[in-house]
Amino acid sequence: MLEFRTEGFNGYAVKYSPFFDSRIAVAASANFGLVGNGRLYILNLTANGIQAEKWCVAHVDALSVIEETLCGAITNAWTLFRFDTQDSLYDTAWSEQNEHQIVVASGDGSVKLYDISTDQFPIQSWQEHKREVYSTCWNLVSKDTFCSSSWDGTIKIWSPQRPTSVLTLPTHSCTYSSAFSPHSPSILSSVASDSHLRIFDLRTPSSASNHLVHLIPIHGPPPTLHHQTQAHPPSECLTHDWNKYRSTTIATAGVDTMIRTFDIRAPKQGPTAVLQGHEYAVRKIAWSPHLSDVLLSASYDMTTRVWSDGSTGNGGEVQGGVVQHPGMGGAGATSGLGRNLGRMDRHTEFVTGVDWCLFGAEGWCASVGWDKRLLVWDVRAIMGT
Amino acid sequence: MASAQQRLDSVLGHVKVPQRPAGTAKLLQKNPDDIVITLAVRTPLTKARKGGLKDTPLDDLLIALLKIVREKSGIDPNLVEDVCVGNVLAPGQAYVARSAVLAAGFPVTTAASVANRFCSSGLLAVQNIANQIIAGSIDVGLAVGAESMSGTADDGAPKMSSQILNHPIASQNEQPMGRTSENVAGQFSVTRKAMDEFAASSFQKAERAQKAGWVDDEIVPIKVHFKDPKTGQVSEQVISRDDGVRYGTTAESLGKIRAAFPQWAPSATTGGNASQITDGAAAILLMKRARAEQLGQPIVGKFCGATIIGLEPRIMGIGPSYAIPKILGKVGLSIDDVDVFEINEAFASMGVYCVDKLGLDPAKVNPRGGAIALGHPLGCTGTRQIVTALSELRRQDKRVAVTSMCVGTGMGMAGVFVSEH
Repeated sequence: MLEFRTEGFNGYAVKYSPFFDSRIAVAASANFGLVGNGRLYILNLTANGIQAEKWCVAHVDALSVIEETLCGAITNAWTLFRFDTQDSLYDTAWSEQNEHQIVVASGDGSVKLYDISTDQFPIQSWQEHKREVYSTCWNLVSKDTFCSSSWDGTIKIWSPQRPTSVLTLPTHSCTYSSAFSPHSPSILSSVASDSHLRIFDLRTPSSASNHLVHLIPIHGPPPTLHHQTQAHPPSECLTHDWNKYRSTTIATAGVDTMIRTFDIRAPKQGPTAVLQGHEYAVRKIAWSPHLSDVLLSASYDMTTRVWSDGSTGNGGEVQGGVVQHPGMGGAGATSGLGRNLGRMDRHTEFVTGVDWCLFGAEGWCASVGWDKRLLVWDVRAIMGT
Repeated sequence: MASAQQRLDSVLGHVKVPQRPAGTAKLLQKNPDDIVITLAVRTPLTKARKGGLKDTPLDDLLIALLKIVREKSGIDPNLVEDVCVGNVLAPGQAYVARSAVLAAGFPVTTAASVANRFCSSGLLAVQNIANQIIAGSIDVGLAVGAESMSGTADDGAPKMSSQILNHPIASQNEQPMGRTSENVAGQFSVTRKAMDEFAASSFQKAERAQKAGWVDDEIVPIKVHFKDPKTGQVSEQVISRDDGVRYGTTAESLGKIRAAFPQWAPSATTGGNASQITDGAAAILLMKRARAEQLGQPIVGKFCGATIIGLEPRIMGIGPSYAIPKILGKVGLSIDDVDVFEINEAFASMGVYCVDKLGLDPAKVNPRGGAIALGHPLGCTGTRQIVTALSELRRQDKRVAVTSMCVGTGMGMAGVFVSEH
């Protein structure tokens, strides 16, 4: 496990570069994001660090040894760019078009675009949101736009080339997370404090519905005549993510601690899978870029957990006390149910961000938290814990 | 933009301790897959060989009760997929169970089986049906407990293998139940006085419940043939009343009764402080909540789970003192969360011990009297207790009941039920 300390700044989001396997961005805020400055870190593993990474890939069991021996030197394994902002930073997204550009979501309502090949100032800053901007996501298909969502109850779509937003989609509810579909350039989604998952399709006429095509209650359908019992009350939804392989599958999670998956082809059917285990709200979830059924979650309960939603029938199998996963070197398994595959509890404060590395072996990820630490680790090392 | 306070409130909103219901709140949740009770009724309990049911063999008793269940519940008999009959003594139980189900007007598709674990048979029948529904094997099932002790006496243990007779613990199963009562009284220093007081209290509570008409809520009158012992004339009679309750019973009056087992020290057990030999039957209709709502069946209660535990056969009476903590642990309740305990009064010795050992509020234990006053038709008791407990919860406007009994050969069983009146 590699570590970097974001001294003086509490982590809020972490993103791996889509271009370089060793480049990581961390959005962080002073004073827990309540008041004060923000800072965007651009971190690179240097030769030393990369060397360590190779070890780790080859010998998962040796991770703890690496930790012991390298701990002191690890801070030196990073080279560092950083950008300071006037207000807290809550999220960040790499450009899919330009490997040097990255956008941040700020507490002052602004969305800023930085270029790491230039100086300390943003190359663009858009001041349109009326309250804190809490998420941002680049369009993974067309690559020429990105979106942001805010406590002001709107989602905005931007182009790096244009001085104002391209489109504003109202949600009328504090929108903690918005994301473009990784499968279609014109479909995006959001989750909000009103406990609903929204799907927008920009190809539909804007008309009265503002491109909204589905409004899915996350907590479950309302009671009907025959089933008058409602399993769960509505609760704030804080995060969601599109499955990278199944174009109609979205996972959501939030204050009620449950991770749910939905198939947007059947928006009225309720969740496909419900993954329970976190003890406090889930702050961030991310589907694996390598395995269609695996996702990571970061929670206020200070843990990061890895799950299978059971969709592949490969829900992990306990062999000799160790949960194996077929995609991660284990033997075949048969369980069709979603399940927890492991937990990482090295953070000592709320875990706010988690992201998978797109390159290399299929288990590397990074997490950040209010403990002012970025941890880079291998999911395979915590399987079965 | 928002002030620091507003941002803090947002974070505090996220980390609110999630409202996870625990204990009673969790138990009282209503979910579509709950196993619910839509009908809980019993026949009167009458003295074996003397009372109103003395000439009603097990099959007639079952048929009479099953017909009432069919009519009173209004359920389409085609939907009842299985009937489990708790019965201990009747020879050919399995023949009787299935035949009675058919004769009572259920279609050929309604199956039947028998549950027999001595005095827990009635509760075991409920658990068997509930488990089948939980597993998805059936949707709707009926649990019955029935015993005709007039016709089939309890002759104790059969001849057993020398391997059992020479085994230090297994051999204890040769001991008659009366002896196990004396063992409990002796080992745990339960005095004759305490036992008579416990028994008198059972009679007094039963007398109060009967006079106030509380038990009318449990009992369905049944029409049976009755042979007058004097004239020998057989007539059809409607039996609607428990006949075991002796009014005006006191600890002093019980104190005059001679020991039933002078051959076994401390000889504290008498005919007055032990359960009566009785005929009777009870029935519980079970299904999932979603199914009940679909069928428009009235939900009167919920089955929340049951468990069993073994102990040394020679002190089998104290089984409830193990079974009750075990089931409470499983459902996440404490003793104080329970509103009514129905603990079968096989003998006052075990009754006194269990109430004392578990620290139960005597007012919560068998509030309508127990087997000492009402009688103990072995296979019926486990089901009868649930009928009584749900009715008493309704009367008191309370929610949670635990039923439990000691089981011959050294076991204790307990179940948890919620009233949804």
